[in-house]
Amino acid sequence: MNAPARVLTALNTSFFSKYKKLIIAALLIIFLFILGETVVSDFLSVQQILLTIKLSSFIALFGLCQMIVIAAGGSGLDLSVGYTATITAVLTAKLMDGRNDNIWIAILAALALGLIIGVLNGFFISYIKLPPLVVTLAMSQMVQGAINVYTAGKNITGKPSPILQIIAAKTTGFIPNILFLLILLTIIVMLILQKTRIGVLLFGAGANPTAAHLSGVDVKRVRFFSYVVSGILASLIGLLLLGNMGIAFKDMGSNYVMPSIAAAVVGGVSLTGGDGNYLGVVLGAIFLQTLTNLLVALGWGDAGKWTGFGIVLFLLLIVYVSNPRKR
Amino acid sequence: MKTGKHILRDYASKPEFSSLLILLVMFVLTAVLQKNFFEIKSIMRNINAFAPLILVTMGQAVVIISGGIDLSSGTALSLLTCVLTSIMKKNDPITGLYAIIITFLIALLIGFMNGFGIGYLRIPPVISTFATSFIWLGIALFLRPTPGGESVPWFGVFYNFDTLKDTSAFFSLLSGFLPPALLLVVIGCILWYVISKTRTGRYIYAVGGNSESAYESGINTARTQIVAFMINSIFIFLAALFFVGQTGSGDARMGDPLTLKSIAAAVVGGIALSGGRGNVYFALVGALILSLVNKIIFFANIPYAYQTLVGGAIVIVAIAGSQAYISYSTKIKEIKIG
Repeated sequence: MNAPARVLTALNTSFFSKYKKLIIAALLIIFLFILGETVVSDFLSVQQILLTIKLSSFIALFGLCQMIVIAAGGSGLDLSVGYTATITAVLTAKLMDGRNDNIWIAILAALALGLIIGVLNGFFISYIKLPPLVVTLAMSQMVQGAINVYTAGKNITGKPSPILQIIAAKTTGFIPNILFLLILLTIIVMLILQKTRIGVLLFGAGANPTAAHLSGVDVKRVRFFSYVVSGILASLIGLLLLGNMGIAFKDMGSNYVMPSIAAAVVGGVSLTGGDGNYLGVVLGAIFLQTLTNLLVALGWGDAGKWTGFGIVLFLLLIVYVSNPRKR
Repeated sequence: MKTGKHILRDYASKPEFSSLLILLVMFVLTAVLQKNFFEIKSIMRNINAFAPLILVTMGQAVVIISGGIDLSSGTALSLLTCVLTSIMKKNDPITGLYAIIITFLIALLIGFMNGFGIGYLRIPPVISTFATSFIWLGIALFLRPTPGGESVPWFGVFYNFDTLKDTSAFFSLLSGFLPPALLLVVIGCILWYVISKTRTGRYIYAVGGNSESAYESGINTARTQIVAFMINSIFIFLAALFFVGQTGSGDARMGDPLTLKSIAAAVVGGIALSGGRGNVYFALVGALILSLVNKIIFFANIPYAYQTLVGGAIVIVAIAGSQAYISYSTKIKEIKIG
């Protein structure tokens, strides 16, 4: 290895390089807020910041599902998370019916639903070796179909338990309660992935499946369980989503799917698998939400909002996902 | 010398064979369920209903074979319909021609931009085309905040030759049995036939199969991926002509459902999402299978609420079936060799 290469390697392992994407994401969020404050008045206020974080929390939560399946490798993706959340919300709304008595049954139902969907996804993807994109897409369609069957010809009735509403929709003082949940979750996820064997297995299977296999890791099983975990998490997020919205409706979760993938990528998760830092995903989600808020505040209407969103996302990808050809 | 039996056996071991089988079953089922399936009117109606998905899927297939994927094809289609209907003036027939030329160039530009992001900048296709899809959607909404716009009367020719009935007896005769949508699909097939015979066609397979070794054998991989996306754009352009011919208006949201459907259809048609493998004509088979699924569900009197559920289940079964078939047939081959 020659000298410049050695310097490069040293830089790559340095602190800055390790957290480069996190730092960029955080700087971008600050930049957007300052830009918003100069262009639109009242953009940079504690309330606005807290509201932005609250709105981005569900993208961040779904982003966790995406990060887990993406990190496990095999061009993983889970397009079914939004639909899993929706079916859980629709089915448990009636169970809970606005009271706290049945919340345990609701949680059990959510776990079961998530387990079924996750196991099916994982089985087809990991053991039958079908492409994740298509399997989770078809699964979304089936879950949406099941929701259609359930809701055919009647209204969706029921309300979430007050507990769920307190967690997902209410605030303590001026801080949204879901923010505490998000912080807690981030710490737990970081601890599990950095300090336990689970993280080693997950990232190992994603980064180099052959090496992982040779060192005795059952790569197929790791990928299978990544989809199971994703399904269960998505289902539990469905309960929170219900708590936040107060009612269940047919497409309450589907709008979060693609933004959650974008948040994961903006947050530094490589789509080829093998790495990922949940704090980055949370920052990515906040960035996307801030960008949307800013574009809405500018008042250019839907056309301006989407064009701006697309162009900024594309430029951002050029800046730090692209790897221009210079071989 | 190869006997007929050998040729049949060779062919049966190809991955596409299973999708042909599924299509055959679908055809029989539809023919049994739909009473007037073989009437010329109903065949024409079916071709019109299936053509957009077929065209978009064939374009998607080219991109997938080149190692990419296009999540923006639906919004690109919407954008092109909006561009067409914004340029045309109802009372000025020549504007139709201008609209076609300008929209074609914009289609190529869309393909170029998508291909540039993936080929030169090497952004993962899933996220890159996801980002560009918002750009196309935004521009389309800018042109047409609500569905509408105007088109020249003769544009209907892309939907039905009836439009030209008064000009000559020839078109009047044609309108009885030949839907223009079929011609658009044939144009698409000829286009791909010509390209697949050129060096570029082979490069597309090489780059999708193994980008590294393609690059090392001197292929300009970035340019090849850009070309693949531009071919995709031409297919989307053909679909846009059909839509505007049919409705006479542009709609910024009409193409959305086609994006994911076209990917599913391509996979059902035996095109590997990993790239480098598959046959673009079988994208047509995949699109037909998915379209016939909807017809069968409709004619089998399955309650409307169950349609999405059954549709999703059939996609999984079709893909799992073809995958199982491929691994089964390769296993047999391996045993024979070994």
